[in-house]
Amino acid sequence: MSKNVLVELSEALADAAEKAGKATVLVNARRRMPASGIIYAADLILTADHVVEREQGIKVILPDGSEASGKVAGRDAGSDLAVLKLERVAATVAEATKSPARLGQIALALGRPTPDGIEASLGTVSAIGGPIRTGRGGMLERYIRTDSISYPGFSGGPLVAADGTVLGLNTSGLANGAAVTVPADIAWRIADALVKHGRIKRGYLGIRSQTVEIPEASQKALKRDQATGLLVVGVENDSPASQGGLMVGDILVAVAGATVPHHDELFARLNGEVAGKSAPIDILRGGQPQTLNVLIGEK
Amino acid sequence: MNFNGTFTQVIDDLVQRVMPSLVIVRGHRFGAGAGIVWDANGLILTNNHVVGRRNPVVILQDDHEYEARLITRDPDVDLALLSIDATNLTPLLPAPVSPRVGEMVFAFGHPWGQRNTVTRGIVSALVSAQNRRGEKLPVVRSDTPLAPGNSGGPLVNAKGEVVGVNAMIVGGDQSVSIAASVASDFVKKATRNRAQPTPSDVI
Repeated sequence: MSKNVLVELSEALADAAEKAGKATVLVNARRRMPASGIIYAADLILTADHVVEREQGIKVILPDGSEASGKVAGRDAGSDLAVLKLERVAATVAEATKSPARLGQIALALGRPTPDGIEASLGTVSAIGGPIRTGRGGMLERYIRTDSISYPGFSGGPLVAADGTVLGLNTSGLANGAAVTVPADIAWRIADALVKHGRIKRGYLGIRSQTVEIPEASQKALKRDQATGLLVVGVENDSPASQGGLMVGDILVAVAGATVPHHDELFARLNGEVAGKSAPIDILRGGQPQTLNVLIGEK
Repeated sequence: MNFNGTFTQVIDDLVQRVMPSLVIVRGHRFGAGAGIVWDANGLILTNNHVVGRRNPVVILQDDHEYEARLITRDPDVDLALLSIDATNLTPLLPAPVSPRVGEMVFAFGHPWGQRNTVTRGIVSALVSAQNRRGEKLPVVRSDTPLAPGNSGGPLVNAKGEVVGVNAMIVGGDQSVSIAASVASDFVKKATRNRAQPTPSDVI
């Protein structure tokens, strides 16, 4: 039979599964069924944090069927990501996508829950959202949802585009058991930080706040349109905020150059590199703009 | 690439090609299942569990009903081979090689009694299931939605070749089909033992 578009699509999907499958491993680090992982660098496996229930005796089954033991190189419950270091070099490193996921594009969820081989299910990218709080003390700037079936043991495995590149890492550990995908650019960036530091630094201010409207006159004084800010309703003793001069009644409008109209933006800003560094915090005090320099704590 | 309707067209072609080989197999006690026309002269392959104790009724796409003879059945592979007195049927061919994970597949059957239904999925995994004799039976798992009434029907690839016989519905979303290689071997064994039909005299 001659090839037609359906046969070509079918073969392309099988090729994509085969290509990405060469960089998808089995991760055995819990008592229940094993989960999956992505070969992120020659001797590093990126997987979901929640499937790593023990740090001793972690076994990884590579795509060629051989077994390697692994150690935790870094982990972050907030983004549900963990990096395992293998005792030896794995074969094929996964290729992260260069074009981010688009709504409606077809995508394969891959996993290696058994030593028998790769497993796959097909879906489309049905939503791209974020930022969301992950419920484990973290914040994900962006997430992908698909309508593919997440079979048991798929957590830690890749979401794969039709060309075999990795769109993200699938996990059921971020959204109350529902499957979501951490986009590849974010997952790779967090993995880099985990390899470097072993954990993700999270900035800490020591304030309680609530969203309030910024009066128009104050917006004019700020010289920008920002409808809301964060009213400080509590400052912890000896916290970075109190040492930096923040007071109850101040309205936070920007932290380290990024506006904070809601808690989520503040939360997102405190993730990452600002921790442990001095950063400018723009506030309104008595309706007048001021900038304080605060040494942001680390948690 | 501009598909411009060609994609819909090739899927329609596939459905038109496979559908004539899909039959209804009605046991006498339980609901109906599906079956596959396996050769032009009336061999019908279905699941063992679809066939009841007595000879089932096979209904072709043209609504003709046939009292089928049971040639052989094997609960360990959940397959049964039937024969009906019909000729010039349109059989399906088994795929010559085993499918690949990720390949597109289409299930044909009558889920919940809805006649001639097509559902789409991909091959999720190639695994083996253990039968009661402790033998390993190669099966094709897919994310194709299947329901009672799909049993015995074909799982075909994008070329319309049989890659499996739809068999078991495990939970909600894991569909299992008996690998086409198992079906081929089963039919070969069954027909080898059968007396060759004698050709009619030259008249």
